[in-house]
Amino acid sequence: MKNRMSRKRAVATLMASAALAMGVAGCGSAGSSASAPAGNVQFWTLQDPTNTVQQAAVDSFNSAAHGKVTMSVIATDGYKDKLRTAMGSSHMPGMFFNWGGGSLNDYVRAGKLAQLDPGLESHFLASALEAGKVGGKLVGIPCRGTQPVFLFYNKKVFTDAGVQPPKTWSDLTNLVQVFKGKGITPFAVAGNGTDSWGELMWIEYLVDRLAGPDLFKKIQAGDWSQWKDPAVLKTAQMVKQLVDSGAFGTKFGSVGYGAGGTSTLLAKGKAAMVLMGSWEYATQQSTNPTFAKQGLGYVPFPTVEGGKGDPGDVVGNPTNYISVTTAAAQQTAKDFLQTTYSDSYVQGLVQKGEVPVTANAGQMLAKASDPAYAQFQYDLVRKAPTFTQSWDQALGLTLGTPMITEIQKLFNGQDTPERFVSAVLALKK
Amino acid sequence: MRRRRNVVAGFAAFAWLLVIGVPLYALVNTAIQPESKYTDGGPVSIPSAVTLDNFRTVIHSGFLHYVWNTVLVAALTVAIVLLLGVPISYAVVRGRGWMTRGVFRLFLLGLAVPSQAVIIPLFLLINRLGLYDSLWGIALPTAAFALPVSVLVLSGGMRDISASLYEAMALDGARPARILVNLVIPLSRSSIATTCVFTALQAWNGFLFPLIMTQSNDTKLVPLGLYNFVSQYGGNVPALLAAVLMSAVPILIVYLFARRALVMGLMGAGGK
Amino acid sequence: MVSITSSRLVRGREARRAAPALERPGVAWAIPGLVFFILFAIVPMAGVVYLSLTRWDGLSTPQFTGLHNWWRFFSDGQILQSTLVTAVLLVGNILVQAPISILLGVWSAGYQRNRAVLSTIFFFPLLLSTAATAVMWRQLLDPNFGIPPKLADLLGGNTDLLGGQKGAIACLIVVTSWQFIPFHTLIYQGAARAIPLTLYQAAAIDGAGRVRQFFHITLPQLRNSIITSTTFMVVGGLTAFDIVLLLTNGGPGTDTSILPFAMYQTAFRTYDYGYASVIASFLLLLATGASLLLVKISGYDKMTSTMEGL
Repeated sequence: MKNRMSRKRAVATLMASAALAMGVAGCGSAGSSASAPAGNVQFWTLQDPTNTVQQAAVDSFNSAAHGKVTMSVIATDGYKDKLRTAMGSSHMPGMFFNWGGGSLNDYVRAGKLAQLDPGLESHFLASALEAGKVGGKLVGIPCRGTQPVFLFYNKKVFTDAGVQPPKTWSDLTNLVQVFKGKGITPFAVAGNGTDSWGELMWIEYLVDRLAGPDLFKKIQAGDWSQWKDPAVLKTAQMVKQLVDSGAFGTKFGSVGYGAGGTSTLLAKGKAAMVLMGSWEYATQQSTNPTFAKQGLGYVPFPTVEGGKGDPGDVVGNPTNYISVTTAAAQQTAKDFLQTTYSDSYVQGLVQKGEVPVTANAGQMLAKASDPAYAQFQYDLVRKAPTFTQSWDQALGLTLGTPMITEIQKLFNGQDTPERFVSAVLALKK
Repeated sequence: MRRRRNVVAGFAAFAWLLVIGVPLYALVNTAIQPESKYTDGGPVSIPSAVTLDNFRTVIHSGFLHYVWNTVLVAALTVAIVLLLGVPISYAVVRGRGWMTRGVFRLFLLGLAVPSQAVIIPLFLLINRLGLYDSLWGIALPTAAFALPVSVLVLSGGMRDISASLYEAMALDGARPARILVNLVIPLSRSSIATTCVFTALQAWNGFLFPLIMTQSNDTKLVPLGLYNFVSQYGGNVPALLAAVLMSAVPILIVYLFARRALVMGLMGAGGK
Repeated sequence: MVSITSSRLVRGREARRAAPALERPGVAWAIPGLVFFILFAIVPMAGVVYLSLTRWDGLSTPQFTGLHNWWRFFSDGQILQSTLVTAVLLVGNILVQAPISILLGVWSAGYQRNRAVLSTIFFFPLLLSTAATAVMWRQLLDPNFGIPPKLADLLGGNTDLLGGQKGAIACLIVVTSWQFIPFHTLIYQGAARAIPLTLYQAAAIDGAGRVRQFFHITLPQLRNSIITSTTFMVVGGLTAFDIVLLLTNGGPGTDTSILPFAMYQTAFRTYDYGYASVIASFLLLLATGASLLLVKISGYDKMTSTMEGL
């Protein structure tokens, strides 16, 4: 009898905790909107200075249209991890910012993405659309400017040393000696565990200059054995020579990207140059505005003597994309995508220092806060025979992440050029 | 013998003061410097200018909301652990038979199991329960993995209650429930305090669960907020360190108001 | 359940005849917590083992591949490295933290005023979460704008602390120790205060000096606390994922990619959930082994009331 009482009591506790857990579940799901049917779309974008343009587009869209778009801002570090996790969860976003290329393959294969209206294509430059397609189907629409990678330099440091920015690889190696002699790090590069994608840019450019763009195209298409190409080994050897000659200083392994890292080193004149994407300008603008205006110079990546690649080729992010998932209210998403080539949106991007890849962007570049910089990028991209997408984006994370780790080992001297090649070859079995 | 001055120990303690103090000084020092001045002098210099702007920047970014979320999760976790852990320990200590013994052994086995190891299935489970991106999705698994240590601490405390007290209450005709409320809980106050402190710190420190189980700003906890600040204010080191400093405020408040309980609770983790 | 109830009833009836009933709580009291623990801890453990036998990218449905992942696991050089690094960090942390926190704990157990004041300061790192600690140290370790340039002479000119394996591992140990020594110090402080003073008085009469007293009285008396504290260090070492993610991101290269980090990276960065589950199962195995060892050494399972430690 007494035992039954105690059991009853325990059961009551259990019930109470079950009720608690249920109340909990109610709470949990009420706060969020995964695939709301009422025309709502959850839109994930990157935490960066440019997303205010997107916020403005979202705000004006919401005030006018029938559907509602909610923008979630996600930190850059780990954005792709989080996105992938959410795509496999009940909280799949309706639209999301992405880099196109290989990162979209898995989502298309899993049937997560909506195919977009081919009619949209006419509003954008054709070269920028390529990475937004998977298997010929349009799944991503450009939503940002183009982001080529090129050399930034500190004008004052160059004037003081009485030298010019490099045009050829031998210029570059000479400059290394000049700046080393002055106690200035020739190139700032972020080599810490989180930011070593900056090292990848060197590999991308050197391989392109030495062998031309087709080598990586084959790799991207699935022929992993192309890593055996002598140009890859040559690239690794050139990187090793650069590192050994002190081109990156001695402590880049602990340096990060951005302010407090490479950007500050460049702005303070502790480093002479940095190879970086066009967003470096915006980073400098927000942390060292005076330097961005007066002291920041930029030139294309130098030619490499004897290489097969066209000196006009560029690497980087052709642009960023918005993709629509099956969780979105399709009509709302469709309507919203039209804002990405509206005059006000494109103008907003231009004012942020971006160079949009829309058909109507050309005449707006003059209104950029720094028209010369906008024009420089525009010409760089327009004249480029090939615009190779960043390899980590093009390959997708599964191969891209370990590839960057191997590059980091090459830069740190943990791997010889030969071991680098064999290690990368071993990544895909 | 403890009245003699111990010079060696004194010197070592001073050295340790430097090890603890210098980073803390650098933290505070950097957090109150304007961004433009920080890179001039470095973290351990005497500041040339002092500002509270960094804290303003951090507050404007919604950091207080993260702090509130973290406090909520910690409170939830502690509540769940006490609600479930106290009855378990009671049954383990006072119950007889192979079943309660088995329960205890099961929890002992879970003692060193890292929650990280089961994050993948846990993620699926939380997803299935519809708790993804909710604070409960963090509190429930955190509580589950805090249970083994809590049961050990609680049952250890309850075992020290003398058997004659139980008998005396039973003589009065008290049932297990009343004995628990009137005898066991009051006399286990110190082990309950230890459990609270330990569980709350677990929730406060937790990083992987928030990282995997949540995604939006509404459900962000402090550790994850700090992680994101690294990329958001990567450049603005003073603001970043101001955020670090602010993240300590809730525990500092607890420390100031309940220093004895907190220290005793932590000490209790090691013995009586 | 039924049998227990009836046997309990029988015993109860017998007891009632002899002495006043001493009713004990049934196992039912433990059931809510048990169910909860099974749901959120045991079931996922089984899940990990199951997933380790599949290939799964997190988006589609898992495909059963048998022991394929496990064969790969045993020939994976990266796992060997990760296991070694995990072990080095574990041992390094214990070797650094245990002596310092024992000494500090015993020292701060004294009731002198200056000791009380300093103990309060020594407590401060505990106010910071692991993430906060890691973020702070990452800035402090910056080779250009942090502390290393000020200590360049002391470091032999090498300020690139996170750029090499030895430096990165040393940094991880130093930062972890900085954060957790205060916690372990508290454990020892509490235990040292509980040592009966008469033991020391007796030793002093026998002419034992301070050092002898420490080794012959203090250390043996702290035995249980040493076990407890070491347990926390081992558990902490097997789960020290956040500090690696925030401080080194596993780098340089994969040199500090400890097992939990390798698992996270495999699961949530390269989306090979099947293989990540193999690493997770391996971690579980290690942890269960550690638990068993601990229970054996400490005698927790004896369920006696004299047990100290926890």
